[in-house]
Amino acid sequence: MIKPKQKLKVGFYGITGCAGCLLSVIFNEDEILNIIDIIDLKAFPFVKEVNIDEKFDYIFMEGLVADNENLETLKKARKNTRFLVSLGACASTGCVPAYRHYTLKENYEHLLFKKQKELQDVSPTPIDSHVKVDYYIPGCPPDKKEILTFIKKIVIGIEPKPYESPVCVECRKNGNACLLDQGKPCIGPITAGGCNAVCINGGFECWGCRGPTKDMNLDLMVKMLKDRGFDEKFISDRLTTFVGLKMPMIEKFLESNSKSAKLDTKFSGRKNYFK
Amino acid sequence: MARTITLNHITKIEGHAKLTLSIEKNKVNRCELSSTEGSRYFEGLVLGRKYYEAHEMTSRICGICSCAHVVAAISAIENALGCKPSKQTKTLRELLTLGERIRSHATHLYFLALPDYLGYESALAMASKHKEKLERALLIMKVGNEMIKLLGSRDIHPVSATIGGWLKLPSQETINYIKENLIKLKEPAIKTAELFFSLNYPSFSTEGYFCSLKDKDKYAVLDGKFFAGGTEKAKEDYLSFIEEYSVPYSTANFVRIAGKRYSVGALARINNNQDKVSINAKKMLKKSGIKFPSLNPFHNNIAQAVELIHCIDEAIKICEEIEIKPEQLSKIKVAAGRGVGAIEVPRGTLWHEYTLNNKGIITQANIITPTAQNLLNIQEDIKSYVPSIFDKKKEDLIMDIEKLIRSYDPCFSCSAHFLEVNWI
Repeated sequence: MIKPKQKLKVGFYGITGCAGCLLSVIFNEDEILNIIDIIDLKAFPFVKEVNIDEKFDYIFMEGLVADNENLETLKKARKNTRFLVSLGACASTGCVPAYRHYTLKENYEHLLFKKQKELQDVSPTPIDSHVKVDYYIPGCPPDKKEILTFIKKIVIGIEPKPYESPVCVECRKNGNACLLDQGKPCIGPITAGGCNAVCINGGFECWGCRGPTKDMNLDLMVKMLKDRGFDEKFISDRLTTFVGLKMPMIEKFLESNSKSAKLDTKFSGRKNYFK
Repeated sequence: MARTITLNHITKIEGHAKLTLSIEKNKVNRCELSSTEGSRYFEGLVLGRKYYEAHEMTSRICGICSCAHVVAAISAIENALGCKPSKQTKTLRELLTLGERIRSHATHLYFLALPDYLGYESALAMASKHKEKLERALLIMKVGNEMIKLLGSRDIHPVSATIGGWLKLPSQETINYIKENLIKLKEPAIKTAELFFSLNYPSFSTEGYFCSLKDKDKYAVLDGKFFAGGTEKAKEDYLSFIEEYSVPYSTANFVRIAGKRYSVGALARINNNQDKVSINAKKMLKKSGIKFPSLNPFHNNIAQAVELIHCIDEAIKICEEIEIKPEQLSKIKVAAGRGVGAIEVPRGTLWHEYTLNNKGIITQANIITPTAQNLLNIQEDIKSYVPSIFDKKKEDLIMDIEKLIRSYDPCFSCSAHFLEVNWI
């Protein structure tokens, strides 16, 4: 990566999500005004009226694809930008809305919106199920400093790298007592960190929102949870709530678990996620 | 000749929304405000999950009011289980909610509403000429966010609040630190109110009811009855007076009470509970020169600014009074039941309802957000507001409509947006 000669043309967009990731950009209260000075902010419809959607160097995309309009916005963004950054869990993994693939159809079928053609549901999917993604900033939402660091790096021409160690590394550094030792269903051991173990710092077990580590041992994780008395339905629910579509081998695990619905979606899996 | 205005992507709101307006001979033929948000079906997703998992999942409904969903879900589940949280737990939940209202109001007032009134396309574009205002906004947001982070461990989707208590209690030092920071906000909050008093608001009256919780001796946050159309109603009976219905053009349900439209939010709360705000907030209410209750939805900005002062005062009071003592989570006896949780959150009253079976598994869920309740009222307001601004240039007319929509601080819980206008 080379240092760009001109200010980078940047856009922040959102499709179906909670706006939490876009807010995490703005909630860098001490630095946001400096950051918008070092980039050329072309579009940010959440807070801007004038959004010029021509050519971008980087587009940060929050949210997952849940309807046809989302798909259109995403494809347009991909066409207009050199690099597409998947911002947060919805864009990267489908997050909680994509957990729909692992629930029973009768739970949500009556809620489906079918009334208007352009708003009809499409299977809830992360953005890389539809277009090429160049970078991922995982997390629900990402650590706000992480977003800042990403921007600073691309501005000075340093290739941003994903954090690959499990949540446990930072958790231990923070001196937290292990929640698994206390019988809690923490899936930090198989989840990529970079979040400073923020949930465990607050006494809450990891649900895996940042996606699995490259070298996770899923079998052992499942065994550890079973040993602590959690049943298969509970375990598969926890493993799929945030990152089901990006959990390698989860299909195999689900097959052995007759209580859960089978996967009814395209599985793009790990290859994509860790490119 | 008929004119049709379609605002496909309304900017500077939380979420995707669209407005279709058709005007003929100075009469509004058609006015449809719709949420075009991709649907996520949270009420379906939590089915089959354990009672202690709902709040972590439903928190994801909204980034800016995630604390709200956490606390509402927890209260509903606790009601279903017949679990009574301790006084300390409730006070901390209230503090968390106040922190969220502080950051949310500051974000809406300065980043989404103010640019319209000062003639800028965005708050960021105001950086050179209005740096002081922007820095003030960022300071208020920072203190609010930090408060939430210190209490809930994360500023968006907090995790420490749980069924029956607090997973990790803040220390007394933390509470003192929060208090010191809040004290620093007193002056900026007054300046914020003065700034929003000084703006020119269009004159307009809504015909909808103003609804909010009403508590006996305090400005309602977590407790109280739902005050609707002159009567106070018990939360758990909400299905007997709130009616949800769907329309073909929107992915969000519309909501009404006895066939009538209503609004929730800061203005409704101030209108219904103005006698219970803090002394400083009362003084500012007087200074605003506006007589409350006000029927003008544009005054929601003023109500938010006054609430900001109240929330800061109230949060300081809580920090001064609370003495954190170690507490175990309340013992939970899993049993079948149904529970409703309704609390006041930045944009109005938020409803969560869950039914559990005897294993503590969620078998039914219903959630009604403030924006869903406001949707019909915003739409009908636009319909009756537009004839008074027919003679304006089209840009100004659109700007005024957008101002009206934004004044409600709608949260279609996601963002989209670039404005596309079709003018036939």
